[in-house]
Amino acid sequence: MPVIEVDDLRRVYRSRTSTFKRGMKEVEALRGVSFSVDAGELFGLLGPNGAGKTTTIKVLTTLLLPTSGKARVLGLDPATQHRELRSRIGYVFGGDRGLYDRLSGLDNLKFFADVYKVPIRDKSRRIGELLDMVGLRGREGERVETYSRGMRQRLHIARGLLHDPEVIFFDEPTIGLDPVGARELRETVAGLRQAGKTILLTTHYMFEADELCQRVAVIAGGRIVAQGKPSELKAAVADRTVIEIETYGVDDRTLDRLRSLDGVASVSFETHDQAQVVLVQAADASLVQPLLGLLDGVTVGKVVSREPTLEDAYVELVREA
Amino acid sequence: MIRVFVTGVRLQLLQLMRSGFDISAMLIWPIILASIAFYLLDAKESPHLLFAAALGTAVMMMWAQVIVGAGGALDNQRVFGTLELLVAAPVPLVSTIAPIMIASGAFGIYGLVVTIVWGRLLFGIPVTIDDPFAFVVALLACVIAIGLLGLIAASTFILYRAAFALGVSLQYPVWIVTGLLFPLSLLPAWVGPISWVLAPTWGFRAIKESAFGGSAWPSIGMCVVVSLAYLAVSLVCLAYFERLARDRASFRLA
Repeated sequence: MPVIEVDDLRRVYRSRTSTFKRGMKEVEALRGVSFSVDAGELFGLLGPNGAGKTTTIKVLTTLLLPTSGKARVLGLDPATQHRELRSRIGYVFGGDRGLYDRLSGLDNLKFFADVYKVPIRDKSRRIGELLDMVGLRGREGERVETYSRGMRQRLHIARGLLHDPEVIFFDEPTIGLDPVGARELRETVAGLRQAGKTILLTTHYMFEADELCQRVAVIAGGRIVAQGKPSELKAAVADRTVIEIETYGVDDRTLDRLRSLDGVASVSFETHDQAQVVLVQAADASLVQPLLGLLDGVTVGKVVSREPTLEDAYVELVREA
Repeated sequence: MIRVFVTGVRLQLLQLMRSGFDISAMLIWPIILASIAFYLLDAKESPHLLFAAALGTAVMMMWAQVIVGAGGALDNQRVFGTLELLVAAPVPLVSTIAPIMIASGAFGIYGLVVTIVWGRLLFGIPVTIDDPFAFVVALLACVIAIGLLGLIAASTFILYRAAFALGVSLQYPVWIVTGLLFPLSLLPAWVGPISWVLAPTWGFRAIKESAFGGSAWPSIGMCVVVSLAYLAVSLVCLAYFERLARDRASFRLA
């Protein structure tokens, strides 16, 4: 049975174009988003910056009203039944914000425990359990402004779990974390799923979604462009081979030449320090030589062909959107 | 609700006491204001007048702390990203915003102590309080009244970030209209009704009456009645502005 149901959700942001003129600018952040999340499921909402991930989460966590469409969390409407819903959901976002820096981690947790109606008899025990769970035991008396990014993020998670919510919304929780911190956080999220929590996670790190999520939806330009199990999304590009070509000084005209080659499905590139890594989704690895032939005059480094990943499927979906 | 309120006041006081800048300002400001009052009022001749000025200074600081300090604190909540969390909490927003205002007003008590101590040390002000019990009650009623007046302004801060600047501009008008800067009798008659609906007027009157003689209880009663009206107005305003903020997405503008 779905715990989160989103049906044709739309959200338009309106802002004045000038203080003195009457003009209004409209940005359509969500253009009819629909998906559902079952009880105990860890569902990933993937998309580039500005795709509508955070807007979706804010509507579901009662912080934003939708312009139209329906949403239900635990059978409650976040727009009108926000009072009942707020005590049953948790909201954890990534980054440095959301904590009182001048206070200790413990003071932060004590305050939010009261704000989130943790019974007074359970407060100390619950805070202790969470400090153990996120690995902040022994550091809780220090001011938050002295915490590292990873420690702050772990404190965020403890804060979000104080009232033992049934549904937890994670909005890009690993953003800005070092690899070790991000891995620890993913372990924590996986542990929560095993504990039976229903989780909606937004991220633009595909390996994270692939590792954690049972199902994912890809959102781009305010629309869901694909959803299913990570393996199903990967299957859409499974008949392809990804050829990675490390180049130095490749330009747009050369990339267009690569795109025009028969058997090439898509071409994208990533910048890695001085190099540009050209990612070609092709019918098979036999296209390596013709591709290299078209890179005449460009310095070429390492060339690798491999199986497509969820990230390749994602890039293809977002590109098409 | 009460637990959230008490924890919120504690949290806000902890934050204020950990700011060296706020503490320094609170130490220096009373000296400046008390010095102005001492020389302006020629207080060598009438030391009780200086004590009255010291009390007025303390209440002025309470209001300044609420409208500027608490307004800033609320703006900081937006910048720190905690405003969203307070809104997303299951408790009513008033129970998390009111403590910020009340704690800021209570910080003004510290200002009162500093003013009296400096006045005593520097200018030899005689500190005699006619009815200490009524004085304490009047002081608490004044703190709560000023905090709740700030709460009405705070409801607009939630929707409009720029409303903080407007709030700052309310600092002097309230000082003048409530008789904190100079006696209300010096102002035009039409100011009277405005001062009656401002709870600090009654709070300050009660503080003076309890310190210098006369019954402070009618003024304390009026202060409480007007404060309750403020609470009712704030509840309506906060609910309305919270709804508007959810519609306009104005919780996180930083």
